Amino acid sequence: MGNKRKLKKVYPIEENCISCRYCEVACTMVHSKSKDPLKAYKLENLLPRATVEVKGAVSLSVMCRHCKHPFCFDSCISGAIQVGEKGQVYLDEEKCVGCWNCVLVCPFGAAHPYITEEKGHSFKCDLCKDRGFPACVEACPNRALVYDFER
Amino acid sequence: MKYVIVGNSAAAVGCITGIRKVDRESPITVISYESSCYSKPMIADVLVDIPEDKLIYRDEDFFKSNNVELVLGHRAVEINTDSKVVVLDSEETVPYDKLLISTGAKPFIPPISGVDKKGVFTFTELSSALSFKNYIKENGLEEVVIVGSGFIGLEVAYFLAKLGIKVTVVELLERALARAIDKKGSEIVEKLLREEGVEFIFKDSVSEILGDEKVSGVKLGSGRVLKAGAVVVAVGVRPNTELAQTAGVKVNLGIETDDHMETSVKDIFASGDCVECLDVTDGKKKPLPLFPLAFEQGFVAGLNMAGKRMKYLGGLPLNSLKFLPVPVLNAGIVNPPDSSYEVLVNDRFDDKGFYRKAVIKDSNLVGFVAVGQIDRVGILTNLIRQKIDVSEFKERLIELDFGLVDLPQWWREEKLKNDKTAYKDWRAV
Ligand SMILES: Cc1cc2nc3c(=O)[nH]c(=O)nc-3n(C[C@H](O)[C@H](O)[C@H](O)COP(=O)(O)OP(=O)(O)OC[C@H]3O[C@@H](n4cnc5c(N)ncnc54)[C@H](O)[C@@H]3O)c2cc1C
Ligand code: SF4
Ligand code: SF4
Repeated sequence: MGNKRKLKKVYPIEENCISCRYCEVACTMVHSKSKDPLKAYKLENLLPRATVEVKGAVSLSVMCRHCKHPFCFDSCISGAIQVGEKGQVYLDEEKCVGCWNCVLVCPFGAAHPYITEEKGHSFKCDLCKDRGFPACVEACPNRALVYDFER
Repeated sequence: MKYVIVGNSAAAVGCITGIRKVDRESPITVISYESSCYSKPMIADVLVDIPEDKLIYRDEDFFKSNNVELVLGHRAVEINTDSKVVVLDSEETVPYDKLLISTGAKPFIPPISGVDKKGVFTFTELSSALSFKNYIKENGLEEVVIVGSGFIGLEVAYFLAKLGIKVTVVELLERALARAIDKKGSEIVEKLLREEGVEFIFKDSVSEILGDEKVSGVKLGSGRVLKAGAVVVAVGVRPNTELAQTAGVKVNLGIETDDHMETSVKDIFASGDCVECLDVTDGKKKPLPLFPLAFEQGFVAGLNMAGKRMKYLGGLPLNSLKFLPVPVLNAGIVNPPDSSYEVLVNDRFDDKGFYRKAVIKDSNLVGFVAVGQIDRVGILTNLIRQKIDVSEFKERLIELDFGLVDLPQWWREEKLKNDKTAYKDWRAV
């Protein structure tokens, strides 16, 4: 049989979320050049990879689930989406050609389009691979995000 | 165990991925007459001079690290099921224990008189795209006629217009992409293309290609004559079943396969554009020549070839118009055939640049169109696949902020907390 996965990923806890959007801010910031929250939004026009969804009293922060059988991987025409050793699903923004197939098929809405005048690319949660620990989890003041082994 | 795959594209790569989930050792041989594993949906980009290595879908490393032997530049001409070998055009034979046929699709060429003239092109292979590009350059073409307004035809038209060539698209039906998208979607696409300089002629067809040896123009059914240095025939593709037929495999509109992607002949599997795919929106089997489906079918075939029993649970028609500055996405049934379907529309294209439409049947979402703003529409695609009852929240389906919070809580609990994200859980319908 193939490799057993031992993957840690981020789980949203709906009961604890108060839609403060700190996770979104932290995500945008760590993926920015300036590493400054304001500049990241206003100058670099970046968007967060986690989306806080709100409806009445319910809210939760949704990011990539790093699926065992990722639809996004199946549908990627450029080979930009690759699966890492433990099952992390990575999107290489340089290789992406902006065909939006991953956006069209991700059941969680976790692959996002970055559409520019010229042509864009998609982006998604990379589990903060360059950082080691997910910034969103660190930023959450309410334990509404947990970084844990896959259940 | 010896695996052999004929074809070296989406379905083949899916198959290699599937086999290697189960069997890390046994050798795999991939046969293709083309020279690399490039991405077909990207070949139109060569017209605007994208470097060829950008088109590579899986590089040599992929094949090496998966212990795949590549036999490139050779056509498989016959399958001998008694001796279990694939015969190549070089007369060499390649023995198999399990075989995948993933020979893709061939362009359909309607019987137009003069279609064999120099300057008539199809557009489904890198080599044909490149020779078309050379022909344009060598002959300094100024006018091109495209026959058919499907995805491929429009993409070629768009890129040609970008190059400053006068392009006319001739379409038999009354609008562009008529089979793939709804009326409003067509209007938007036509408008965007017209802005680039593309011209459309609807409800007409090319009846004759004019010129001595080389194309010099076309004559339409209506009698109209257009000047043209080249004609691109893009009226659709048909499953490429030639090789399969030499094995006596059952073929209808495409190669017939069972739930496990096995053909009517034991140990021969088939996937991708060459097969008939189960469409989950209507339960019918039909050719659905789409990249993600080809990959998935190949993946499931690979699992089964390696001994893991897994059913292919079907796919749905879905498409993204990737070349336009405004994204145009659609999935499932977008042109409801009768009044038993409910249609919801959120059209703000003129003032806000977006358009959403949802098609509902018996409490289930069965299709949608999203133009302009497309973030997170995959949630809708998933609703179609999983046939979740949407009646409680259906008016939310066409809102831009529609999300998982709108879905029933049990769904979030099951999918996010228990994190069931394996093949079966998702493809289940
Ligand atoms: C211009 C263009 C744009 C497209 N855009 C999109 C898009 O945006 N989205 C989308 O979902 N789909 C798109 N498609 C369709 C998509 O490319 C196909 O669905 C997909 O490539 C199918 O993969 P496949 O593996 O079944 O076969 P193919 O990609 O058709 O590959 C067939 C393979 O078989 C080999 N082969 C065939 N016969 C033999 C033989 N006898 N011996 C040896 N080798 C053989 C060929 O060399 C090739 O490697 C597009 C197609 C084209 C042409
Ligand atoms: S982007 Fe979506 S489909 Fe891809 S791994 Fe993440 S959750 Fe799964
Ligand atoms: S948008 Fe980019 S990452 Fe997504 S499927 Fe297309 S090429 Fe792959």
